[in-house]
Amino acid sequence: MPILECRELSKRFGRTTALDRVSLSIEPGRVIGLLGPNGSGKTTLIKLANGLLTPSEGEILIDGEAPGPHSKAIVSYLSDKEYLPEWMTPKQLMDFFQDFYADFDRARAEEMLARLGLDPAQKVKQMSKGTREKVQLILVMSRRAKLYLLDEPIGGVDPATRDYILDTIIRNYNPEAAVVISTHLIADVEPVLDEVLFIQNGQILLQSSVDSIREEKGMSVDQYFREVFRC
Amino acid sequence: MLGKLLKQEFRATGRIMLPVFGALLILSVFANFSIRFLDSSMSDSAVLRILAVIVLIFFGFAVFGAMIVTLWLMVSRFYRNLLKDEGYLMHTLPVSVHGLVWSKLLVSLVWFIATGLLILAIVSLTALIQSGTNLSELFAQLPSWAEIKALLSAHGIHSGDITIFFTELIALILLGSIAGCLHFYAAMAMGHMFSKDKILLSIVFFVALSFVLSLATNLLGFRLHDLAALTVEKGELEMLIFYERRLLRFSLGAALLQGALLYFATTLSLRRGLNLS
Repeated sequence: MPILECRELSKRFGRTTALDRVSLSIEPGRVIGLLGPNGSGKTTLIKLANGLLTPSEGEILIDGEAPGPHSKAIVSYLSDKEYLPEWMTPKQLMDFFQDFYADFDRARAEEMLARLGLDPAQKVKQMSKGTREKVQLILVMSRRAKLYLLDEPIGGVDPATRDYILDTIIRNYNPEAAVVISTHLIADVEPVLDEVLFIQNGQILLQSSVDSIREEKGMSVDQYFREVFRC
Repeated sequence: MLGKLLKQEFRATGRIMLPVFGALLILSVFANFSIRFLDSSMSDSAVLRILAVIVLIFFGFAVFGAMIVTLWLMVSRFYRNLLKDEGYLMHTLPVSVHGLVWSKLLVSLVWFIATGLLILAIVSLTALIQSGTNLSELFAQLPSWAEIKALLSAHGIHSGDITIFFTELIALILLGSIAGCLHFYAAMAMGHMFSKDKILLSIVFFVALSFVLSLATNLLGFRLHDLAALTVEKGELEMLIFYERRLLRFSLGAALLQGALLYFATTLSLRRGLNLS
């Protein structure tokens, strides 16, 4: 059974159509790049999968069910927003995640915090933007979820941390889990991807394995993306 | 999961409310010292007298401020935690929208009650001290429960009626507070279903809900005036009791109905119209 499935999924904001009759299916055990230019519908699709938006038409299913408490227990979501309460510390946040998510691996989170030299007692409001993003990512990747939805996980961090994050995604790879990474930085994520979804103007242009693109088009995903989305 | 949400909500709000309560208690001690000082023969120094008055003014502001903070916290926790960026965290927890709303409601209710009781206790004690009343003398002057019962039964009121009255009154205070919170929650949740002008729309929904609810309550409550007119021929106290009992029960029913409608509007808006952006 697909871990994420969209059937004729549409989302409109007033007169603007953010997603237009999208149908797709994502199987467990894959790392998928959700790639598209700004405003193409990537974040809308991820928000719909998290139940943060409701579809205008069609349906979206996570593990066979519409987004709800069941899907939220198995989806680990990294937003492109800074959403951690400013008064909390990483230690309190780990307590919080441990309370609500049965799949939260605290030892893994503590190990990642230590490896990145982050202070578990520092308040979020005292952290730099980059540090906040690292803490968010550590919390999200410390869950043993079935589906990871990562919206721009490497957008605001330095290249060294970027490498660490991608390494973390690969190291935490679980054959039963799927990872969806939405990003503009295709060259950076390409080495970890199994599959790509090209999205433009709310429509899926392509769903293909990375190997197929390389074999059939004779170019990297980054090169192919630049060709498809040439301005 | 509601227990975990309540724990988190108490942790988030306690870090604000407990210092407020602490400050209120400390200021009340200083206020009582100031009252005693102003009353005593040592109060010849104009500077000290001014200082004592300033402390009393601060105490007055603190009492008012504690009520404002409690109300502000109820609104801001819902807004910041569920409708702004923190909503990305809260709405992706494996909990239902009902759990999220109830955790906010119950914790706000606890802080309302705690603030109310604390202010009542502090202000009563301060007033007693200011009036120079001796507490043991005051209690000695109060009529005993047996005397109150005898007085009431002379007017046909039994102790069971008193129990019912106070139960209904407490229920009305609790239900009224919940409906009051939900009035803010529903307006904010409805206003945030839209992509633009969310705060302005929340205010518009708040005013619109106030208008609709007060209109409906007045229309439904119109019959109470007829009931009052019909009871004119009865004795004054009996009429008052008759009227009050119906008014109280009507208010209870109205608060329950308003609360249910506002709860439905809040949860439906969050489930169907959540628009975090």
